[in-house]
Amino acid sequence: MSERKEQSRIPISKIQRASKFVTTGAKVGGNYIKHYSKKAFNSKLDRSQLDLDNAEDIYESLSELKGSALKVAQMLSMDRNLLPPAYQDKFTMSQYSAPPLSYPLVVKTFQKTLGKSPEAIFDDFTKNAVNAASMGQVHRATKDGKKLAVKIQYPGVADSISSDLRLVRPFATRLFNMSNAELDHYMSEVEGKLMEEADYDLELRRSKEITETLAGKIEGLYFPKYYEEYSGGRVITMDWLDGVHLKEFLATNPSQETKNKIGQALWDFYNFQFHELKQVHADPHPGNFMFMDDGTMGIIDFGCIKEIPDEFYENYFALLKPGFLQDKAEIDKRFKALDFFHEKDTPAEREIFSGVFTEMIGMLSKPFQYDIFNFGNNAFFEEIYAMGERVSKMKEVRNSNGARGSKHGLYVNRTYFGLYNMLNQLDAEVKITKPVWLKGSTEKVA
Amino acid sequence: MAKKQTAKPIDIKIKEAYVDFVLENGKEPASIYKFAKDLKMSEVDFYNHYNSFKALQKHIWADFLKETIENLHSEESFVEYSSREKLLALYFTLIEVLKANRSYAMMDLQKMRKGDVKPAFLEAFKKHFHKFVDEILLQGKETEEIIDRPVIGDKYVEGLWIQTLFILQFWANDDSKDFEKTDAAIEKAVNVAYDLMGKSPLDSMFDFAKFIFQNR
Repeated sequence: MSERKEQSRIPISKIQRASKFVTTGAKVGGNYIKHYSKKAFNSKLDRSQLDLDNAEDIYESLSELKGSALKVAQMLSMDRNLLPPAYQDKFTMSQYSAPPLSYPLVVKTFQKTLGKSPEAIFDDFTKNAVNAASMGQVHRATKDGKKLAVKIQYPGVADSISSDLRLVRPFATRLFNMSNAELDHYMSEVEGKLMEEADYDLELRRSKEITETLAGKIEGLYFPKYYEEYSGGRVITMDWLDGVHLKEFLATNPSQETKNKIGQALWDFYNFQFHELKQVHADPHPGNFMFMDDGTMGIIDFGCIKEIPDEFYENYFALLKPGFLQDKAEIDKRFKALDFFHEKDTPAEREIFSGVFTEMIGMLSKPFQYDIFNFGNNAFFEEIYAMGERVSKMKEVRNSNGARGSKHGLYVNRTYFGLYNMLNQLDAEVKITKPVWLKGSTEKVA
Repeated sequence: MAKKQTAKPIDIKIKEAYVDFVLENGKEPASIYKFAKDLKMSEVDFYNHYNSFKALQKHIWADFLKETIENLHSEESFVEYSSREKLLALYFTLIEVLKANRSYAMMDLQKMRKGDVKPAFLEAFKKHFHKFVDEILLQGKETEEIIDRPVIGDKYVEGLWIQTLFILQFWANDDSKDFEKTDAAIEKAVNVAYDLMGKSPLDSMFDFAKFIFQNR
């Protein structure tokens, strides 16, 4: 029979979706059997083939689901240090592979929300989507000579979030070595953020707010203007940004100077958001950044904003203060505040986790200990992956009940990983700007 | 079925009064006599337009589809649509029309038995549907979106009819906000239909088998 990966095979009902996951689960299980039977004969075999097999099967079923399952795939792909390298490339592709909405449905959506068909509103409107977003698709339009990007959401996205996440659960525990309690912790935060992302009215309001505050603050960055009169419900209209994605940009062989300039702008962009706005664009996916030849960059998609509570802010960034890791009492205090420690931990457990987290923080906060940091240094990233891999295999960590770390950290960490990762790909050398209270003697730690 | 001969307003008046009655009482009027009397007209006036409540019901549904098709033709870009897009637009618009009459439509749809492919109230509706879809299919065959296969090629429209019944049922049971799930169902169902009707590996396989058979 035909084996096409198109809409004909998109599962319709929840039952079908569920069975999709079951078959994936079965396949992943099968991959393990394959792996261990091979390993019986060849003990040198490492996990990477197994990981690749798993990633492929999981990716296959997620790519057919679109909507929130796709979003989860992307989320997981961002937490690069948690994921074996084999998964990462597969998952980052998912952004670009959602099947498009038909034009009549686009027209219908317009009529429902704006009362007119797209042709009646714009001078020109592409019948086919020019880009896929995770929860919708983007069309290009022109109005009075201005190029616009029109984002349209898939129908029923908000409704399917909870049920999709419930379906992802059983195999997420298996795949990412998480306990149920840990996953609960994770999922409630993710679900909340996804619901926010599905709310285009909220996105429009926030986008306007944030881009207006940021406008002109950081050299080399620009943001689209949002048009309320052509937005509403499941439609958002904004300026069309020229430029190319990171991969294509790098293919043009930009000069080191240009790359540093962009890297610096990126760093300052996040620095400003974390420390001034206390809310941050928490979706540092390569698709959201448009690079120009002249070293300027456009940033889109403010659908996923993490607001950072004051208390969390104080405790979290205290970890990055130079000298923190030498101060036992301070470590104890902050780790407790951030839920790294549990009430019922035995002294031995506390010892172990203290060690694990100190090591992790030492590694991840390394750039903060310098005035200028070279993110092109691959050794730094390999160390992080190696540590992630090692920690996830530690018996004590795997058997620990309950999640560790404040749930607010989830999106903040994700944002930092995404940022580090982009800076790494850019091979940029960045001046580490930070608020005054985080400054101190720049001793080399960790 | 009675043909319209006299001024239009009377049959519309009868239709509206009937819909009103059904919505308020949850059932058909007891008799045509009583119904006509309440409308202050004679039984003959009723029979001039419809010969029974059943016929009236069929009319109401056929009118839903007629309204849908009129709306489609008033859409500028409709003529430029591909065959697949036309069918999608038909369903989307039909659901919009039905939405405005949901309470009434629900009553009939909920009475429908599972597996019944020829519900009486959709008889006239189906006739109009056939006519419209035949044209869409013809366009599809011309543009080769659809492959005309021997024997089954004539049955496509029947398949699409069953799909229509599925969509109507799905909508009747849809409790998502603004019936977004129905939109998704339509999109997916139509894609399946067109992928099945379009060129597939089976066609080449069949062609190849035939060739081998003839050249043994």
